[in-house]
Amino acid sequence: MNSAKQQDTAPLVDNSYFSAVTTAIRSEAGRLLAAGEVTAVIGYKSGRRKGSAQPVIISDASRVDELIFSPASVNNLALYLTKAKKEVTKSGRIAIVAKGCDLKALAGLMGESQLKRENLFIIGIACAGVHGSGVAPSEPLSAASIARKCRECTVHLPEGVDLVAGSIPTMPQLDALESADLARLEAMTPAERWAFWKEQFSRCIRCMACRQVCPFCYCEQCLCDRNRPQGVETTPRPAGNMGWHIVRAMHLAGRCAGCAECERSCPMDIPLNLLNRKMAKELKELYGQEAGMQPQEKGPLAQYKEDDDQSFIK
Amino acid sequence: MSRIGVFVCHCGENISRTVDVERVAEAARKISGVAYACDYKYMCSDPGQNLLKNAVSEQKLDGIVVAACSPRMHEKTFRKAAQSAGLNPYLCEMANIREHCSWVHEDKEEATAKATEIVTMLVERVKMNKKLQPITVPVTKRALVIGGGIAGIQAALDIADCGHHVVLVEREPSIGGHMAQLSETFPTLDCSQCIMTPKMVDVANHPNITLHTYSEVENVDGYIGNFQITIKKKARSVDMDKCTGCGICMAKCPQKKIPNAFDKNLGMRPAIYVPFPQAVPNTPVIDRENCTWFKTGKCGVCAKVCGPGAVDYSQEDQLIVEDVGAIVVATGFELYSIAEKPKGSMIKGYGEFGHGKIPDVIDGMTFERLASASGPTGGKILRPSDGKEPQSVVFLQCIGSRAREKGISYCSKICCMYTAKHTMLYHHKVHDGQAYVFFMDARTPGKGYDEFWRRSIEDENAVYIRGAVSRLYEKGDKIVVMGSDISLGIQVEIEADMVVLATAVQPRTGAELLAQKLGISYDKYNFYSEAHAKLRPVECATAGVYLAGACQGPKDIPDTVSQASAAAAKVMTLFAKDELEREPIVAKVDDKRCVACFYCKKVCPYGAVEEKEIRDRQGNLVKVVAYVNPGVCGGCGTCQATCPSKSVELDGYTDEQIMAQIEAL
Amino acid sequence: MHAEKLKHDFEPKIVAFVCTWCTYAGADLAGTSRMQYPPNVRVLKFPCTGRIDPVFILRAFQKGADGILVSGCHPGDCHYMAGNFHARRRFATFRKLLEFIGVDLERLQFSWVSAAEGGKWVEVVTELTERVRSMGPMAEFKELELEECWSGKLDTAELQEAYAAI
Repeated sequence: MNSAKQQDTAPLVDNSYFSAVTTAIRSEAGRLLAAGEVTAVIGYKSGRRKGSAQPVIISDASRVDELIFSPASVNNLALYLTKAKKEVTKSGRIAIVAKGCDLKALAGLMGESQLKRENLFIIGIACAGVHGSGVAPSEPLSAASIARKCRECTVHLPEGVDLVAGSIPTMPQLDALESADLARLEAMTPAERWAFWKEQFSRCIRCMACRQVCPFCYCEQCLCDRNRPQGVETTPRPAGNMGWHIVRAMHLAGRCAGCAECERSCPMDIPLNLLNRKMAKELKELYGQEAGMQPQEKGPLAQYKEDDDQSFIK
Repeated sequence: MSRIGVFVCHCGENISRTVDVERVAEAARKISGVAYACDYKYMCSDPGQNLLKNAVSEQKLDGIVVAACSPRMHEKTFRKAAQSAGLNPYLCEMANIREHCSWVHEDKEEATAKATEIVTMLVERVKMNKKLQPITVPVTKRALVIGGGIAGIQAALDIADCGHHVVLVEREPSIGGHMAQLSETFPTLDCSQCIMTPKMVDVANHPNITLHTYSEVENVDGYIGNFQITIKKKARSVDMDKCTGCGICMAKCPQKKIPNAFDKNLGMRPAIYVPFPQAVPNTPVIDRENCTWFKTGKCGVCAKVCGPGAVDYSQEDQLIVEDVGAIVVATGFELYSIAEKPKGSMIKGYGEFGHGKIPDVIDGMTFERLASASGPTGGKILRPSDGKEPQSVVFLQCIGSRAREKGISYCSKICCMYTAKHTMLYHHKVHDGQAYVFFMDARTPGKGYDEFWRRSIEDENAVYIRGAVSRLYEKGDKIVVMGSDISLGIQVEIEADMVVLATAVQPRTGAELLAQKLGISYDKYNFYSEAHAKLRPVECATAGVYLAGACQGPKDIPDTVSQASAAAAKVMTLFAKDELEREPIVAKVDDKRCVACFYCKKVCPYGAVEEKEIRDRQGNLVKVVAYVNPGVCGGCGTCQATCPSKSVELDGYTDEQIMAQIEAL
Repeated sequence: MHAEKLKHDFEPKIVAFVCTWCTYAGADLAGTSRMQYPPNVRVLKFPCTGRIDPVFILRAFQKGADGILVSGCHPGDCHYMAGNFHARRRFATFRKLLEFIGVDLERLQFSWVSAAEGGKWVEVVTELTERVRSMGPMAEFKELELEECWSGKLDTAELQEAYAAI
């Protein structure tokens, strides 16, 4: 949800912060590749448009100076170790650049036997934040351009990584817009909420970008693509869309790392991260578990306690 | 195109009184895919079943729905009938229009409409049913019994007497368990050793029993019918084949003052020892922690005096693997620790009543050893502090048991009886002595039990005071017991020479570790969980593992022996066939879809999910997927509901079948 | 038992997902005991509540269920030891999701009914049926099924703003 309220466009951090991170990444990547400790480094490089960044896999030490870190480094690189790319780790140990949110995705994938920690060299980023959706990549990182998810980030400083690149600069407190939206929705009546989500989901064109960009949607065949039985309609009508998003939110519950790439990739600006945040919040309240930077053996829906809440059960 | 047959039963008048069965059959005939529909008075009767069988063959039906009573009643009946007509039994479903319809609704229109809808739902479901074949699992007809107390001994003898081989593993150097420590047993006051030793000798001599004492179960692999058990045989330091049991080594051992756990540390033993004279096997072990040779390299007297040269200091722990088809767990109990901070116990030690501090405050088992003729005092009841005969003994019941605040809510079942027994033994040995018992209730439900209990009051002069004890303290060489008598409504103070606490019965320390090795459930007290509290009390939910004795819950000797024989009977049921046939309602993983997230493995209550490697023709690893062992899977379907991609499906309850029912609503 | 036979305008469609060992048996017991209750419920049998996928609940609403009941064994009594424990967490979570989406949770009832609780089965089914009857048909999902595209009005500030921004 975007309000046209005017936000402050003053840069939140100095450019030297980004240079420091970039230097640290390049130096470590160079060292790792030269020493043969890893066969490839997954990071960001400059894109075509000014200031933009895109994922890159570098296996040649001479190319490490292509690696950057900038406010446009929005992609969750954990994606490049799963799905079509899951054979990458077979070539040897891989180094990967990971912001805090990306690290939570890596930890989750490890907990689900998709990745092994010893196969990775994790370059964690002491991250000040990245751009939100629809921001021109050449814009500096400001209150106006920072992603909504970054405003309430609790994982600026990565833990359990092999190297921390950069250091967290002092940043002003930013308004927690996502929490505010969540609270606003929670305060509505069910009918109002239904109307809200119906409108949102009716815009969905079932491009499945949310699924494609999510590191946890690595199923060989998505449940919603099956027709025997057809649990969820595939047509982009309101009924099918509602079904799709409900099922996806349920399947991510307890697993979602909160990288909000789904929301960023959605061409129809549907606030998907609100759903995932709501589920994460509920599971934290109910079972005291949340996606973290360390792999968990069992997530909240893979285990139980005898005294779990059952106040809703007659 | 399906050819479903629908058979609507009148059930006499039970259904037809409220449901218009002819109309239901008529409506069924109109459903696309239904080739035949009829109604009949009693479908479960012989003519009814013949009607079904004839229809299957004449109409070439490929699925049937019997609209009648609950499937819990007659599903097996009709599946069997279908099978005998040549139709796979799992293509037969029942629509419950009696318990769920005709019996609970009065309005004929509503009931008929509902019955029609129920039948429609089941018809759509049956269209998605697949032919399923029963699963067969081979069975190794050998059993493992863990624990050599009376439960393990009984189970082992019963199975061995049926002609099957038993491997009996016991942790201590000798079998016998706690029963061997008892002096006399209620309600008959038989000498415990006298009735037990013949059974112990039978075990040792039985051609079908392999006895591994001083051994523990290290690891359990496999599943029902096919377990591989790794057993650690601890080093006795004595060659069992050479030892004749003459006992010279024990007599000559210079270390004589090691507290004997069998005697509750009141008696002493040498470093090379058998725990009690009637030990089976009668081969000593060397306690390496306390033996001078193992500590300093000096001594070695036992090796020198041993005629057959059986002492072998170089012996090492051994690991052996046994293949078995069934496991009986009979690991028994221990008493609530008397010390204030017991090692490794999940429950805080009972620090009240001078436990572990006042030497003359003892527990029930210690009293048994005092009373036992082969015990540290030769059967005389003497105070541990000064060896004098106590003239007054106070017995406290329910120490730890029935005490939610101490963490144990349950009743330990045996203490009322053994305390009554103790008052009798005390009276027999100290004629002028006075026994007092502070109790809450007298729980004496067995055969001859209440009569026995009354004897202690009427014949043996025991004074029973209904009330609790608040405090004990030492006064000179006496112990002052302060309690209340709630029948009289007064406070009571007794100066006792000895206090015996009836402490709670608990599972053995570390019981949960064995349970985890076996893959069986245990409750919050670490007692092992039976499959069903009333109807399956000796089986575990984990197939192939059975329970006997106090490890499942506190119990006395008669119940223990009964349960042990029951467990043996269950083992024999398993061994009665060469192959185990199981209902094919099990989960199957689609190798192509599985992405090896192993959520199924995390949630499976049976531990039935394994990792399976998929290799190409050159033997290279392509990927790892989940695999459900059809011999272990219980058929709950939790895996399928948890799997994000539904790569694992429960045969008999697939998503297609269920969705077909929902779509038909 | 002779209940008052009123002709209602609206007969809710109640779908019950139940486990074989406890609730289905409890419903059987209600039948054997000839307890009477409204005929609106359609029972689907599962081996265990652990097998019940949230997608079934969603689909049932989409296919016209006005109220849904999910019922199984009491915690600790599951025939399969732990299926209902997993189900409990799964349903607690799905409930929160549906609530957030805007489904009125009064239409979705969870219960533990044991094989001995025929009376409780009747109570739970009757209560749900009558409650859903008073709430009326579940319009939300039914309307959704019929729509080709969103048919709502720009009746919130956000919607108007968004429309204006296009």
